[in-house]
Amino acid sequence: MASRLPLVFLTVAALDLWLTAGAAMAASLTGQIRDGSGAPLADAVVTARPAGGRLAPPVDLRPVRMELDQKGREFIPHVLPVRVGTPVFFPNSDEIQHHVYSFSKAKRFEIKLYRGTPARPEVFDQPGVVAVGCNIHDWMLGYVYVTDAPYFARTDGQGRWELTLPEGEYRLALWHPDAESAAESSASARAADRADPIQHTLVLKPRRQSGKPPLNLQQQNYSGDF
Amino acid sequence: MAERRGFRRLGLLIAAAPAAALADALPWPEFSLHGLADLRHRQIDARPGWIDGGLGKFRAGGDAGRFRIDEAAVTVQARLWELAATATLKYAADQRNPVDLTEAFVSYRPLGSSAVRFGARLGAFFPPISLENTGTAWSSPYTLTSSAINTWVGEELRSFGGEFHASYQFEGGDRVGLMAAGFAHNDTAGTLLAWRGFALHDYEATSQDRLPLPGGIGTARFFPRQAGITRPFVEVDGRPGYYAGVTAERPESYKLRALYYDNRADTAALEHGQYGWHTRFWSLGGKLDLPWDLTLIGQGVTGHTSMGEAIGGSHPVDFGFWAASLLLSKSFGSHRFSLRHDRFGADENDLLPEDRNGEGGYAWTANYNLTWVQRHQVNFEVSRVVSRRPARLQLGQSSRQEEVLWQVAYRWFF
Repeated sequence: MASRLPLVFLTVAALDLWLTAGAAMAASLTGQIRDGSGAPLADAVVTARPAGGRLAPPVDLRPVRMELDQKGREFIPHVLPVRVGTPVFFPNSDEIQHHVYSFSKAKRFEIKLYRGTPARPEVFDQPGVVAVGCNIHDWMLGYVYVTDAPYFARTDGQGRWELTLPEGEYRLALWHPDAESAAESSASARAADRADPIQHTLVLKPRRQSGKPPLNLQQQNYSGDF
Repeated sequence: MAERRGFRRLGLLIAAAPAAALADALPWPEFSLHGLADLRHRQIDARPGWIDGGLGKFRAGGDAGRFRIDEAAVTVQARLWELAATATLKYAADQRNPVDLTEAFVSYRPLGSSAVRFGARLGAFFPPISLENTGTAWSSPYTLTSSAINTWVGEELRSFGGEFHASYQFEGGDRVGLMAAGFAHNDTAGTLLAWRGFALHDYEATSQDRLPLPGGIGTARFFPRQAGITRPFVEVDGRPGYYAGVTAERPESYKLRALYYDNRADTAALEHGQYGWHTRFWSLGGKLDLPWDLTLIGQGVTGHTSMGEAIGGSHPVDFGFWAASLLLSKSFGSHRFSLRHDRFGADENDLLPEDRNGEGGYAWTANYNLTWVQRHQVNFEVSRVVSRRPARLQLGQSSRQEEVLWQVAYRWFF
């Protein structure tokens, strides 16, 4: 229910944009992100906005249903980029209960002990980074990256990303939960040429939290240290 | 494994979706069961150990060159909302009751707010001193043999009472906290330190345990009313003890803990052959997660214990004790290599210098372990301890001893 209003609003906005921008040729931007040591960086988010304050060309702005799963006592994916207004479900694929919560400014919520998929999604209606944890398994950590950018992608295990967007100049923003700072750059998308992937580097903090469970059962199951 | 679970889950969903929905709606606790079994082989070049009533520094001396099931433990937990009830039952060779409790408590850990968290537990639990015993049923992922400090915690320290935590998390992720506990049934803590001294092994006393005291060193002559064993978890004076401390931590980065413990035992109390030992000490510990999968853990304790009615300000037994350890561990995938150095000592200043409680020593422990499919672990370990304890002269032994222990263990976790 909560997602209805923004949905109507966004559809109108999309129509409006389409009227102002006219038809544009589809192009694509690809890139790869590495960390300071040169290793491919997974779970980084790349957003693209038209440069020069130009309005975004037409794009399907309807929020889609997204999922941040809990599997093997870990949030999967570790980073989930979504558009503002997106309903996100938090299914629990484990055989044990989880207690998911966030205290982040962009979204505060709590789903008390549960298994399976809660009937109601959480709607992320403010842009920002939402860190998600589990009150039972302290190591669990995941992120919902809520953006109002029209185009965004997450890097795969090889640090690669790809965006399909209309031709034009774009401002790119790069984010990763463990990066020292976010980065920005610009790129131009042309339909004709397949340019080389854009290379970026994000320097990571020396202290980071993987969000993954300890490697073996021995270290996962002591409950006296709370 | 994950796939099989997935299929099972799918089947369950299709067959029993309405029932599952109902079960999820009702406040019914979720039960979990974890544990370990430890098959151990020891090769010892040492004097009769503590369990044989000797003054050796290991658990046993002499003839232990064989495989045996050293320990098996099960932790059951029931969880309902932010409440959890946890109990650990253990079987161990040399234990008084074949199966007995090591810990049993109810904990409450609400979500709190973004920055402030509270937590409490009530029952019987280890005071938060060890930074090494963080595995299933208080086992250590680093070594088989505990450090001198943690061996003592396992033997003589347990809180039967309540503990309260409050912590504050800064924007950057660092969390600082306070903790405090009131407890009873720990009035004899210090007995083993006095008459046996520090030791290095991995036997954790259970709630009904009776632990042997060394024989032939004159204890029965000086203290005829002391039983030949110590019962670590009894209350002899009706006076509760406490500990209070501070913590600071950041997940996967560091953990610091400092606490002051005082069991406030009445040194004049004596019940069923068990004296009240007024034991108080400072404990300091730090764990650092370093680059290249290195972990550094340092712990230290320093304190005093006294026993018996004071005469002219002096107690029949009164001594200061201290111990420190530094462990460096490196994991590479499922392999782990750990090296620890221990130092310990005790100085007495009491009415009965003939009852010798002083000692000094150091130890090295090196361990390699390999864990596969998360649950099977083999360990190879060697420990060497060099110690000086004048009480050994009464057994016709040299005060200074060097002891070496080789161990192979297969541990199974579930």
